[in-house]
Amino acid sequence: MRNALRIFFVGGATSYRALFNWISPWVYIPHTLGYPVFEILFFAYLGRFANVQSDKFFLIGNAFMSIAMTGFFGMGNAVGGERRSQTLATLLASPANRFALFLGRAVPSIFTGFITAVFAFTICSLILHAHFSAHELAGIALAGIVASFACTSFGLCLGSLGLRGRSVSLFADMIGGSMLLLSGANVPLDRLPHAVRLVSNVLPLTHGIQAGRLLGGGGSLAQASHLLVREALVGAIYVCLGVTLLRLFEYEGRRSATLETF
Amino acid sequence: MTRAFLSGMWIHVVMFSRNPFDLSGVVLWPIIYASIAYYLLDSKDNPRLLLAASLGAAVMLMWSLVVIGSSNALENQRWLGTLELLVAAPVPFAAVIAPITVASGFVGAYALLATLAWGTLLFHVPLAIDHPLAFAVAVPACVLAIGMLGLVMASTFVLYRAAFSLGISLQYPVWIATGLLVPLSVLPPFVRKIGWFLGPYWGFRGIREATLGSAPWPYIGMSVAISIAYVAIGSICLHYFERVARSTGSLKLT
Repeated sequence: MRNALRIFFVGGATSYRALFNWISPWVYIPHTLGYPVFEILFFAYLGRFANVQSDKFFLIGNAFMSIAMTGFFGMGNAVGGERRSQTLATLLASPANRFALFLGRAVPSIFTGFITAVFAFTICSLILHAHFSAHELAGIALAGIVASFACTSFGLCLGSLGLRGRSVSLFADMIGGSMLLLSGANVPLDRLPHAVRLVSNVLPLTHGIQAGRLLGGGGSLAQASHLLVREALVGAIYVCLGVTLLRLFEYEGRRSATLETF
Repeated sequence: MTRAFLSGMWIHVVMFSRNPFDLSGVVLWPIIYASIAYYLLDSKDNPRLLLAASLGAAVMLMWSLVVIGSSNALENQRWLGTLELLVAAPVPFAAVIAPITVASGFVGAYALLATLAWGTLLFHVPLAIDHPLAFAVAVPACVLAIGMLGLVMASTFVLYRAAFSLGISLQYPVWIATGLLVPLSVLPPFVRKIGWFLGPYWGFRGIREATLGSAPWPYIGMSVAISIAYVAIGSICLHYFERVARSTGSLKLT
């Protein structure tokens, strides 16, 4: 347990520091912060043009999307990056706890994603003149944390695919893109066909966004609790699935000697 | 140089057409953005608005492919250790990069077909092109204008190791400023004028006017004119940034 915690914290911190050795903060920060800001503005103005919902609808939906994307890519790239730099086989030959190993690398990125979302939310609130009370902001933050857990869990499933294939980032990109539509971030769920809504219900983020909008609109925690519980439940299911897939695909990768295939 | 451009473009069109990342982008992304627009606009009474949204989503993808495809291609060259060889080659570096950006835009034209087919089959968007000849000219003119803007952007990618990340972050600002899906009339006034300097603005309007409007040729002409301006700016920028990258010895760093 102590070793797993050490790998989680020290490994995660080292890999995060390495990121800044690779990329200059002067490039990293503007592009990391700029992307969600422009995404929120794009959909908020599209919503204004279509005369659908308020700016707050798109503001909360897309701020949650940026949390989700770091959850998906953080976990996906934790494995995919090792394959790309040809270190995956060496890493898996070590006795280190896999969950601690990969989650440790993803958590700093997810934390950054959360900070990024807060920054983008604040900037866009000012641009779009959307105002929230402290109580509403606390509710949105709570929903954001639960959604972040669910998305990271889903990212664990995506990351496990990195043990089998080389295009995890491609897959995460496609899933992330689909979430713009399926999670209700940009289209009210009641406008989507019934079959699509069934898919939305089993995806992470959908209930988190609904909870965030409810709490951001002045709703009480009691009113949003069922949505938060559903989001957490979806996350818990994906954690179980992700850990199972991680073990299964590692076994398969070792058996078929495909860990270094690129 | 012409041979280098044409053969380079052909090779990159074939490579992009076999790349799952680009192909999934070509099929999936414009469909997602067009679907969001369809569900939000919900304008059964105005199907031409949905057709304009389809065209806008397709041009959005063209720009994404150019900016992401070219940055990804340059980053791959850097990772494979071939970037410095390309820079050292006697062929001007612009003739090496321009085929990558134009080929990306060309592959992005597939998105036009995917989006129009998706809209017609699932959302019953009527596919009626008012000026077929102008449309046939407007699409390559749009590809050229977007590809050449990509050339200007790609010159900065020579300097940065994080070219791919930089490419991704340039998508939304250009989509917004050029009014591809969101009309410029709903944006703050200062944004409207930025689009005049961007190729997708003229390229998209050329395609849209050829499909739905009355006067496509001025926009097509502007697409070609701005492409020529981009070639001049891109060549100067490439020359300068190439010299900086050579002097700092940063071409090989991954």
